[in-house]
Amino acid sequence: MPAKDYAPIDQNWLEDAGSLWTTPWVDKPSERVIVDPIILSHAASLFRKNAGYFYQNPDEAIRMVCHACELYDVTPVGHYLYADYWGQDYGAEIKIQTNSPPGITKRPIKTAEDVDNFEVLETEDLAKGPTLTTHYKALDTCKEEFPHMFAPITQLGGTMEVATNWAAIEDVFMWMITEPELVDKLCVKAGDHMVNACKATAERYGANVMITGSVIASGDLMDTEQIKRFSFQPVSRAVRKVLNAGAGPGIYYHLCGNHTDDFQMWKNAPMSPFTIVQIGYDGQNIFPTSKLVEHFGDRCTCFGTVDTKLVDRGTPAQVYEQAKEQVLAGKDSPRGFILGTACECPTNAPPVNVHALVKAAKDHGKYEKF
Amino acid sequence: MDIKITEELDNTLKDNGFKKEEIQELIDNAESSGVKLKARDGDVSIAKGVSDNLTMYAVYSPSELLDVYAHKMSILGLTGGELNDVDYDDASDWTCAKCGEIALERNVDMTYMGVTRPGPGLVCPKCDEFYVSDGVAKTLKTAESILEEKRA
Ligand SMILES: [Zn+2]
Repeated sequence: MPAKDYAPIDQNWLEDAGSLWTTPWVDKPSERVIVDPIILSHAASLFRKNAGYFYQNPDEAIRMVCHACELYDVTPVGHYLYADYWGQDYGAEIKIQTNSPPGITKRPIKTAEDVDNFEVLETEDLAKGPTLTTHYKALDTCKEEFPHMFAPITQLGGTMEVATNWAAIEDVFMWMITEPELVDKLCVKAGDHMVNACKATAERYGANVMITGSVIASGDLMDTEQIKRFSFQPVSRAVRKVLNAGAGPGIYYHLCGNHTDDFQMWKNAPMSPFTIVQIGYDGQNIFPTSKLVEHFGDRCTCFGTVDTKLVDRGTPAQVYEQAKEQVLAGKDSPRGFILGTACECPTNAPPVNVHALVKAAKDHGKYEKF
Repeated sequence: MDIKITEELDNTLKDNGFKKEEIQELIDNAESSGVKLKARDGDVSIAKGVSDNLTMYAVYSPSELLDVYAHKMSILGLTGGELNDVDYDDASDWTCAKCGEIALERNVDMTYMGVTRPGPGLVCPKCDEFYVSDGVAKTLKTAESILEEKRA
């Protein structure tokens, strides 16, 4: 749908939502906790389009996301991202799928020798590559049509995500056992790539919000030592390099999956004045916001979550109940709080469930101290 | 010590409102007190001068001023209050000239316009001295302007 087919965004809403959104970082009084359900292709489903359509049309995708933000009264930011970034730039093949984000079908690294010969692309080359040109098409549309909803985001994933977009996940996991030094090399290269990608966004837009952390490197797939070696350490090194290169200042540690045994190490991950930490699960359960605030509240902005499975398949009452508990535990976190979902809002989640999440923040997320 | 300033750098100083005498004083203080960072390889030092609303740094060799940068956020101390082990590439390229320890890259709490948040600092693990790199000063400049806009 071209821009002219959308109803105008309510400017009063936008102003209010904008002030709610910046509260967590700048301690400026606002009425209630902001909600960020990480809306991506879910926005397309509101327009009766599918995920495939969303990812093939980055400019329309951004319009749908921005209008979904107004509909739900959530964080007014035009997100556009997916997990399988950074393969194509290095020669991987990608498959567009109807009901899910694009997936990588052929990866550029097949052997140990390929790892040694693999060369990370320079900032200029990445800026011209398929990932960033698609990503920038979405960001440029946002900047042009929804300037108040624009944030210069770079979707990095963690070193394990980048590594498994370059080489098959089963190979990387086998090498972790048989040739861990090879995975070290791969993760160092992934980190260098992350630095160059961040620089590209910072050069284009004057600033950069990096989304990093770990999805694959969680307790369900790796042990704590492996997470430290192949995720925490090389990711930290990459973030430090980004900040030392003058890029940033936004850092969003998205620690999806189960992090019971390793979440503590992220307390010492490099942070900037605009850092958010989000942790998905504690074992099988959603990560309790009380625990998140206890460990990270005196450091950065805490992103408390509601289980995406619940948002996808639960009842509105179940979503509301869990959101209420999380928001009550997090709203007065000293360096700010955001209520959200454990990961991306499921494409076909019932809109009433997303509404229930926001309703809980409106009913129970009022700031009494202001 | 008397320090040479190239014309190019002199223009940068003027553009940023830094005074030559201020810089010279900063360096003199660092040289007499020994409170400065020294490059682990080579003969480059970083001197620091803290005033109410600005922390200024001068990077210099024995003969020449190499760079000057500053930030408005003021450093309060280590984020979380203690120096934890990180042990991976967290040793910076600098040593503390006073005690000889390698400066570590650690989060430090910074405050500006009533907001306190972490930032990446260079920390002497012994002396309680904090510095930031020139690159991080650029990152902080973006952060400061966001705070100025949003807190206004
Ligand atoms: Zn020292």
